[in-house]
Amino acid sequence: MAVVKYYASLRNVVGKKEEQIEVASLSELLQRLSQMYEGRLARHLKTTTVLVNGKNVIHLKGRRTPLGKDDIVSLFPPLGGG
Amino acid sequence: MGTKYGGYMGRYLDIDLSTGKVTDYEVSDEDKELYLGSKGLGARILYDNLRKGVDPLGPENVLIVNTGPLVGSGAPCTSRFNISTKSPLTGAILSSNCGGNFGIHLKRAGVDGILVRGKADKPTRIHISEEKVEFLDASDLWGMDTEETQEKLPARAGKIVIGPAGENGVLFANIISQERAAGRGGAGAVMGSKNLKAITASGKKKVSVVRQAEFEKDVKKWISILKAHPTTSETLPAYGTGIFVNRCNATNTLPTHNFKRGSFEEADAVSGEALADTMLEKNFGCVSCVIKCGRRVKVEGKEVKGPEYETLGLLGPNLENPDLERICEWNYIADLMGMDTVSLGNTLGFAMELNERGLWESGLSFGKTDGIAEAIENIARREGIGDELALGVRHLSEKYGGREFAMHSKGMEFPSYEPRGAVGHGLGYAISNRGGCHLGGGYFIYFEATGPITMDPHTTRSKPEFVAMFQTLLDAVSSAGNCQFTSFALIPKQALELKPYGAIYRTISKVMEGAGPILKLVLKQPGIMPFTLPGELIPHPKNISDLTGMRMTMGNLLAAGLRGYLIERMFNVREGFSSRDDSLPERVTREGQGGNPKWVVPLDKMLPRYYDVRGLDERGIPKPQTLSRLGVKV
Ligand code: SF4
Repeated sequence: MAVVKYYASLRNVVGKKEEQIEVASLSELLQRLSQMYEGRLARHLKTTTVLVNGKNVIHLKGRRTPLGKDDIVSLFPPLGGG
Repeated sequence: MGTKYGGYMGRYLDIDLSTGKVTDYEVSDEDKELYLGSKGLGARILYDNLRKGVDPLGPENVLIVNTGPLVGSGAPCTSRFNISTKSPLTGAILSSNCGGNFGIHLKRAGVDGILVRGKADKPTRIHISEEKVEFLDASDLWGMDTEETQEKLPARAGKIVIGPAGENGVLFANIISQERAAGRGGAGAVMGSKNLKAITASGKKKVSVVRQAEFEKDVKKWISILKAHPTTSETLPAYGTGIFVNRCNATNTLPTHNFKRGSFEEADAVSGEALADTMLEKNFGCVSCVIKCGRRVKVEGKEVKGPEYETLGLLGPNLENPDLERICEWNYIADLMGMDTVSLGNTLGFAMELNERGLWESGLSFGKTDGIAEAIENIARREGIGDELALGVRHLSEKYGGREFAMHSKGMEFPSYEPRGAVGHGLGYAISNRGGCHLGGGYFIYFEATGPITMDPHTTRSKPEFVAMFQTLLDAVSSAGNCQFTSFALIPKQALELKPYGAIYRTISKVMEGAGPILKLVLKQPGIMPFTLPGELIPHPKNISDLTGMRMTMGNLLAAGLRGYLIERMFNVREGFSSRDDSLPERVTREGQGGNPKWVVPLDKMLPRYYDVRGLDERGIPKPQTLSRLGVKV
């Protein structure tokens, strides 16, 4: 079970801060999320940055990044600040 | 006096508090072309007006308050004014940028900038109008906090004021305008040392625009870009800069326990999201801003300014404190007292670690919130341990030990980013001319951990080149008078929609790692970019051209940023700074983050390459040919 954590506006879209989802890879997770939240999340997923265990997946295997038990997937909308 | 360029009022004033003399200070059109205004031009003027070795808190120090051409022009996010002076915290050059209303009103009074020198014989307020400069008795304001002081001043005037911290020489005292602060480096103490409680300005003059119709079109377009971009139209207004708490926490860049760690179990409790859910009353913005990243929260039933990201991080996780209400309260007290919350959070964190290690019984402990509010007031009034805390981390480390975990560079404490999780950002702390600072250091964490397109945070490949490039861009944006947050829209909305986890982003990230040689070429010869870029990418050059009538290309904009850095650097060199001051504490260069020996900031590896890109010699001093190529006279 990967732990999926939502941040900023994504929390409002899905109505929760985190949940556990059984998937084997990031692409599977993205598909699952689109199904679970239908159109609501689709627009946001186009611009979402994805970290797995704190690492941006573009430095892992992108969509093919494998997800296993206890992996933490963090989903962020585009941010600015500081 | 006067100027052939639009955007400028054509007048700088030289104000001597010791003699009461006010004269016009000549700033040539050539210097405007070379340095634009604000930060860059402020550094030039300071260099020309200060001798080596003056006491930053003595009457000889000069306080420059100035603006850039875009200020007051109607362009978005351009209320910014700049303070340049010799910092009492670092002894190096200081520039500090603020979004309060003073800059706009100064221009309405027909003035681009002022130099304040000398020392008044009693507490004084300077008032600048179109007709004259007045020296007014401010004895009744002395001792008042920044809010009360501003309430006593004319409602319609632009104002800058100091609080008790500035009056009492706290080395990280700030200058407040409305609810915004020129925060870092102790400019408030410089004002206090001159017996200067406040400066006000008012008038009705308008900024002239050379190509009015074109400029209006530019501004409309720029506003529409900022209003359509998800970063500047959604996240920043909704969550403020505090949105970075969770992001930094997830990427191991959130300073925790005096920067010992990069993440905090309870970070979410002090995040921008938590603030929005629990304490936010509304958002607010600096004058002329369409982004409005500021927060208003309730503290003890009163609506006050809420904390920024830096404050959340440094008064929260850095002190192992998950109590958001306390942070809001401390932030408010610090603002009232007029002190920088970045240096404050670091100083408290360092005192806690000294206490933990038995090096100094400060009575302050991680996770303990009791007594902090009192400590902040004591710092401002220089009472009890506050008297020593008022001198900052470097001073404490020299007296009590712990230099290896004293989180500062050149005496300026670090902002709220743990650099072992973003090594280019760490390089920025070391080579920033004002000391440990993210804004002066290129803010590269955005491309290592917190932005949508990131490079591997631990690689050094092309980092020195990128850091130099982003420093240059941000310096130029600041010098023009623009808020640096407008730069968050530089990654166009369309690019964000390319799925930041997909193949295109992975390719861009790899390409960035190999981009060093190209960046170096552009920085060595900015003239190879004799064009402006489409408004969606970098709108600044075209806006500046249409406003001022200057020929402002991308190359010219970069050259202005490069010159600003060099003249700041020359100021520091004259004061005796060299490569040994471009340093970081051992905690980040030797102590591997999370026990991983590889996760350090490999400064030794990056510094020589950075010097090379900047045209500095191995001592970090600008080479004569670098200065002459860019026309920087010293
Ligand atoms: S983005 Fe924030 S800091 Fe910048 S001008 Fe707007 S309100 Fe001020």
